[in-house]
Amino acid sequence: MPSPDRSIDRLLDRRIIVVTGKGGVGKTSVSLAIGALAASRGMNTLVCETNGADQICGSWGMHSGGYAITPLAPHLSTMSIRAETAIEEYLMRVLRFRKLYEMVFKNRVMGPFLDAVPGLHDLIQLGKVFDLERERSSVLSGRTRTWDLVVVDAPATGHGISMLTAPRGMMRLTRSGPFHDNARDVAGLIEDPARTAIVLVSLAEELPVFETVELYGRLGKFQEQVAAVVLNAVRTHGLPANYPDLRPELLARANPAGVEAIALADAALRRSAMQDRARQSLARLGAPVVDLPEIAGVELGPPAFDQLAAVLGQSP
Amino acid sequence: MTPVLICCGAGGVGKTTSAAGLAIAQAQAGSRVVLLTIDPARRLADALGVRVGSEPCAVTLPAGLEAKGTLHALMLDPKETFDRVVGRWAPTPEARDRIYRNHVYQHVSANLAGAQEYMAMERLYELFRDGRWDCIVLDTPPTRHALDFLAAPDRMANLMDEGVMRWLVLPASRGGWRMIERGSEVLAGVLERMVGNSTIADIAEFFGAFQALWDGFRERSIEVSALLGAPSTRFYLVTTAAPAARAEARLFVEQLRSHQQPLAGFLVNRCLVPAGSPGAPEFAPRADLPEWDAAVGAVGQLYEQHLAKVALQEANIAELAAGTTAPVWRIPDLGEAVHDLDGITALSHYLRAAVA
Repeated sequence: MPSPDRSIDRLLDRRIIVVTGKGGVGKTSVSLAIGALAASRGMNTLVCETNGADQICGSWGMHSGGYAITPLAPHLSTMSIRAETAIEEYLMRVLRFRKLYEMVFKNRVMGPFLDAVPGLHDLIQLGKVFDLERERSSVLSGRTRTWDLVVVDAPATGHGISMLTAPRGMMRLTRSGPFHDNARDVAGLIEDPARTAIVLVSLAEELPVFETVELYGRLGKFQEQVAAVVLNAVRTHGLPANYPDLRPELLARANPAGVEAIALADAALRRSAMQDRARQSLARLGAPVVDLPEIAGVELGPPAFDQLAAVLGQSP
Repeated sequence: MTPVLICCGAGGVGKTTSAAGLAIAQAQAGSRVVLLTIDPARRLADALGVRVGSEPCAVTLPAGLEAKGTLHALMLDPKETFDRVVGRWAPTPEARDRIYRNHVYQHVSANLAGAQEYMAMERLYELFRDGRWDCIVLDTPPTRHALDFLAAPDRMANLMDEGVMRWLVLPASRGGWRMIERGSEVLAGVLERMVGNSTIADIAEFFGAFQALWDGFRERSIEVSALLGAPSTRFYLVTTAAPAARAEARLFVEQLRSHQQPLAGFLVNRCLVPAGSPGAPEFAPRADLPEWDAAVGAVGQLYEQHLAKVALQEANIAELAAGTTAPVWRIPDLGEAVHDLDGITALSHYLRAAVA
């Protein structure tokens, strides 16, 4: 049963969860684990990839639907947000006529021009998230919201930050007009701690931890929205506490494969110490640190994500 | 032509470290090498002694390496490079300052997605024309698609397209956002409704102020494209043996093919070393010691897990390279040590064959 003092429950109370971190730390897996957890609690959840990234369906063993919403499991769906498609969708709504859209934006003049509008791609992708948050479907009793939770698998570090700050940037750039007003609305959602949470993902290694701390520093006023730091791919070694005492005897009595196994055990202990240091460093940021185990030696797929979701659900 | 070694790959695969390793291997073999890094982790930058916006600075290689060449390194600062390019090619100081002051320029030079990629190309061009280097090693910006940056010169050339420029610049030079043709008036009207009047004015001024620089941009982008396509330029895909790397590698090879470039090789980082001894680990019993069986069990399990990981790694590497003749170089997982100069030097030993 959800309880208000568990950070994971407070996290799932939000409407939007933005997941970011250094490249290669497993942002997509963590996004899916959060999505699978929310879905397991009956929340209608959409996990969005950004910048045209399109890995989720594949890792679920399914054919990708791209920009179209693809159901993965009960209550869990995904889509890949592409700036180009989101811009087209937005402009079609504003301009109303496809002919006009094509005349204005499909010609070789406007294409490069749109690319040059600073922050437009980032803003328009968040604008899509804004639309998804507001989406309502009429079901029997009336209008219920389509998505209880939208998880945004945001771009890595630097690009992740420029996405969060894009609405403000656009407001400064335009100063007035429909773009300005839309950017203001999007900023209102993204900067609202009650509705939008940020989750940082890190690996338990020195350099990624260092970069996560740096990233946190660069988040500025978004820092207060960091609801959790996920320490991903944490390994357990299973060695008894007195292993260091037993080690000389083990080594003396080992066959050649045994000697190699002891070297692996030593490495596992060093890794464990490194994980502890990582957890301590990240805890100093002030947000709760949540461990996710490494799923070693298997391909990622629905069972792996369910397993991760279960761990996440048990976290304090 | 000066050889250019380009390290591509997704974020977080150890691209900068591998590029540094390649550069050290080249310097060891006797070249005067310059390494251009993009947004390296601060620790790594410290290890190499590079600072943002710096000119190439000499890296003191470990004496034990007995390097016959030299290594310099620098770190790309897109904003600074953009400013320098403008400063260098603007026809007059007034034109230069007009660009520096422009609202849109300030945004574009600091924030534009793609500015980093494009400025990496400008910096590469500067290093290439410099004449001081026998070999340039380029670490590429972290992009989802490893070769996105290759399109940067083309994108810039598109933006510089004469038709586009005439359309955008002429009205500005007539002192307002007014179109010559009626069709254009409609477009301008729509655009104005979208982003507001003042933005249009800023953007028009930006393009207007840049007018004098267009030819230079276009010429350089053509030269950079030629450099990237030269036989002396070699592309490496830096990757790990993770399953996600397979799709990326396939895409990379396809993209390279469309640029008529072969793949020089895969640099597979953080490889596990297979166990060398036959059979399972065995330990002569010492049942009298507390937790003996638990320790033996845990050690054995770690060994089993290692074998499973190595098997998956090898299957992934085999799939990675399937369909190409490009060689695969495995770089063993050197742990934390790899973030200082000695660590990168240790890593470079595994890359000597890759630069030979």
